[in-house]
Amino acid sequence: MAAPPAAPVNKEGGLPRFARRLRGALDALYLAGGVAGAVALVGILVVVFLQMAARWTGIRFPGSGEYAGYAMAAASFLAFAHAFDRGVHIRVSLVLARLGRFRFFAELWCFAVGTGLSFYFAWYAVKAVRWSYRFGDVSQGQDATPLWIPQLAMAAGAVLLGICFLDHLVRLAATGESGIRADTLDEAQGE
Amino acid sequence: AAETWDMPLAYPASNFHSENAAAFGKCVTDATKGAVTIVTHPNGALFKGNDIKRAVQTGQAPIGERLLSAHANENVLFGVDSIPFLATSFDDAEKLWTAAEPKVAALLDSQNLVYLYSVAWPPQGLYTKKPIASAADLKGVKFRAYNAATARIAELAGMQPVQIEAAELSQALATGVVDSFISSGATGYDSKVWEQLGYFYEVDAWLPRNTVFANKDAFEGLSETDRKAVEDCAAEAATRGLQMAKDYTGRTLKGLSDNGMKVEKPADALASDLKGYGEVMTGEWLKQAGDDGKAIIDAYRGK
Amino acid sequence: MHEFELTLLFVAILFFLLASGVWVGLALLGVAYAGMILFTSRPAGDAMITTIWTASSSWSLTALPLFIWMGEILYRTRLSEDMFRGLAPWVAPLPGRLLHTNIAGCTLFAAVSGSSAATLATVGRMTIPELRRRAYPERMTIGTLAGAATLGLMIPPSLTLIVYGVTINESISKLFIAGIVPGLVLALLFAAYVIAWSLMRPAELPPPEPRTGFREKLAASRFLLPVLGLILVVIGSIYLGIATATEAAAFGVLGALALAAAQRSLDWERFAASLMGATRTSAMIALILAGSAFLSLAMGFTGLPRAAAAAIAALELSRFELLMALLVFYIVVGCFLDGISSVVLTMAIVEPMIRQAGIDVIWFGIFVVVVVEMAQITPPVGFNLFVLQGMTRHDMGYIAAAALPMFLVMVAMVFILIAFPGLVTWLPDYMRAAPA
Ligand code: NA
Ligand code: NA
Repeated sequence: MAAPPAAPVNKEGGLPRFARRLRGALDALYLAGGVAGAVALVGILVVVFLQMAARWTGIRFPGSGEYAGYAMAAASFLAFAHAFDRGVHIRVSLVLARLGRFRFFAELWCFAVGTGLSFYFAWYAVKAVRWSYRFGDVSQGQDATPLWIPQLAMAAGAVLLGICFLDHLVRLAATGESGIRADTLDEAQGE
Repeated sequence: AAETWDMPLAYPASNFHSENAAAFGKCVTDATKGAVTIVTHPNGALFKGNDIKRAVQTGQAPIGERLLSAHANENVLFGVDSIPFLATSFDDAEKLWTAAEPKVAALLDSQNLVYLYSVAWPPQGLYTKKPIASAADLKGVKFRAYNAATARIAELAGMQPVQIEAAELSQALATGVVDSFISSGATGYDSKVWEQLGYFYEVDAWLPRNTVFANKDAFEGLSETDRKAVEDCAAEAATRGLQMAKDYTGRTLKGLSDNGMKVEKPADALASDLKGYGEVMTGEWLKQAGDDGKAIIDAYRGK
Repeated sequence: MHEFELTLLFVAILFFLLASGVWVGLALLGVAYAGMILFTSRPAGDAMITTIWTASSSWSLTALPLFIWMGEILYRTRLSEDMFRGLAPWVAPLPGRLLHTNIAGCTLFAAVSGSSAATLATVGRMTIPELRRRAYPERMTIGTLAGAATLGLMIPPSLTLIVYGVTINESISKLFIAGIVPGLVLALLFAAYVIAWSLMRPAELPPPEPRTGFREKLAASRFLLPVLGLILVVIGSIYLGIATATEAAAFGVLGALALAAAQRSLDWERFAASLMGATRTSAMIALILAGSAFLSLAMGFTGLPRAAAAAIAALELSRFELLMALLVFYIVVGCFLDGISSVVLTMAIVEPMIRQAGIDVIWFGIFVVVVVEMAQITPPVGFNLFVLQGMTRHDMGYIAAAALPMFLVMVAMVFILIAFPGLVTWLPDYMRAAPA
């Protein structure tokens, strides 16, 4: 898999050092979110097996269903930005593909709307966590978990997605290339 | 000014609580001459059951209905209607609620909610595969424990607790993952439980309640006459709902036996064993519930 | 009329956001936001999070990423290759040949999974590369997959049937049993379409594989053992009561890992690649699910689905007319909402209609599943289209066009159900009559 880098190397190379560091940090951040999501996905598997084992042996595992649900949410939200960075989130490109030299402006609109909506989502996700904390909202299941804890994953993932969108929007506006790494797609999708 | 109150309900439109709420909504719409139009959204179509209280608290919906005992993790007082084997008839359940209502209403008020009315579900009975004469027969039975109270009952009776979500109960019964659970006659009737189980014991373990509440800001935004109209309709709905619950109980129990289930009062031995668990669990509840809880139970027991 | 104009505006915003290329999940979020602003004074952002959190942290959803992961693992083993080696001699004499593996694979996997997205992701991950390698026409590969994967909803277990059963208080086990025969009939219809298509356009198919004798076919069938074993483990765990339908997905992952280990295709690199691939795909689907949960809430506040259903009720149609009206209604609703939401949002009005018209509710459940299945493959909002787009990188228009014949097959299925209601009712009635 020969993956051309996101933006031409000479341009990246020409960036001041702090910008290069920022670039590296952001890329690492998205990947870290993806890895955390993957860990949560393994977490679902583990919880489901523990839940079955508990039932077979008659041992109680109160709130197992809730824990699996929290892991589900973490697996999804934490990986949003990583999936976006790798071009996995889908869109209807029927019109975009036919815009020719106007495509840049349409892309700008898409990334701007995406940035706006993901920050809107992030804003309220963070607010919801703060409210859950203030109200002392607890799970209604047997786990009785304070809800702000699992909801942190939602808020973190939403903020990460917002940053990721903004990052790509800025890159698009500055270089004409969004830097979505759709080229890392594996064999089944290419061809 | 005329306003629309969207009212999320967790249960299907044909459920008697939903029908009662729809009648309440119509009553309010008529009595306020359209100043408040209540539109019910049954079946979790707007907000799911779990979300309704928080949604009304924060003004995402102006009014809603919720099984309050589901929020007992948040405050044990919400679970007063679901202490097993404490109030085991419609009359006792009403008496218990009369004692509890002011405290619960005050608690709701502290959460930006205005208590309107509350209606009991049919009493919770014991479904089993095999006949049960006393608690000794319950030993080792695979019992659906879906919350702390049912898990404790399993523990006290030496049953094997099995955690199964409601949506998968039918399948779990069919495949023998579970062979006993506690729920109302209505649940078993609605899910046609006779396809898998043979016995229903009317142990009347408890009568959980659905409670209707409004957002405080929305409610206080109404004119005084409109507020009065809402309260009058609520009182009517409480009375009507109780009768509906009783009718429904009779109808569903008859339905269970018409479909070949044995529907029986528990044998004396079983009844007294269960009452013993009730004493234990009431004591445990009182330890958590503090003075408010003690006041409610004392008032209920007529001390 | 004021309401009417608002509705048009609402639909226009949806089309504009989607068509201009905004990512699907966010486009749904945006139109839902617009709906909240247009139709209600409720705080949109808070309601959005309430709904999205509940929808995203749902325990019943956990089977989806696990099945996707299972598909990712299997894709990295020889399993799909083996499956094709085992199936090829059997389907070779049939016109359409290996295209039938899509249908057979989905039918089998539907018995394991309750969702059509999981069925599509798992089966497609295995069959698309193999069919491409053999130069089968892309349109047919994609179309048959999109259509056949909807069997995941009809053949038990089925999430849609669970929601329908809970909504109208009908026995879920009875609904499940009722879905078996129509599911198989629909699978046969898809196969019949493939046969008819290939007879008309034999030139578009790759050259046939060499003919084989019965003994050779049987010998090649040993390659099917691993995949059959895996399916048996998953289905067996459900029917033996070891796992619930949701938990069975965990057995699927474990079985796939065991298979991969047995074939010595399991190393750290492939394990990590399968896990990261599954995480990205499920994040993609989760973002769309989040947007669609919020859209469903906004639709509830707008009251549009209820109003439309009530308008149909007011027409006082005959039984057949009512079914036709509901068919059109659910196809239109299905363009915008996923199946479960359209059931939940409309059943309060539709249930009394059908009961009044004397329509059997079990039969209607299967009817609803077929029309909801259609919704999975109609643009602009169709989950199978989204998942296929993610897997194949074709544009939505291409995929929707490829799936159109399957949509028409499903319309035919609706008329078959109306003409022969016994297809639905026979098996549950028979089971009931049998001594317990
Ligand atoms: Na299925
Ligand atoms: Na659709």
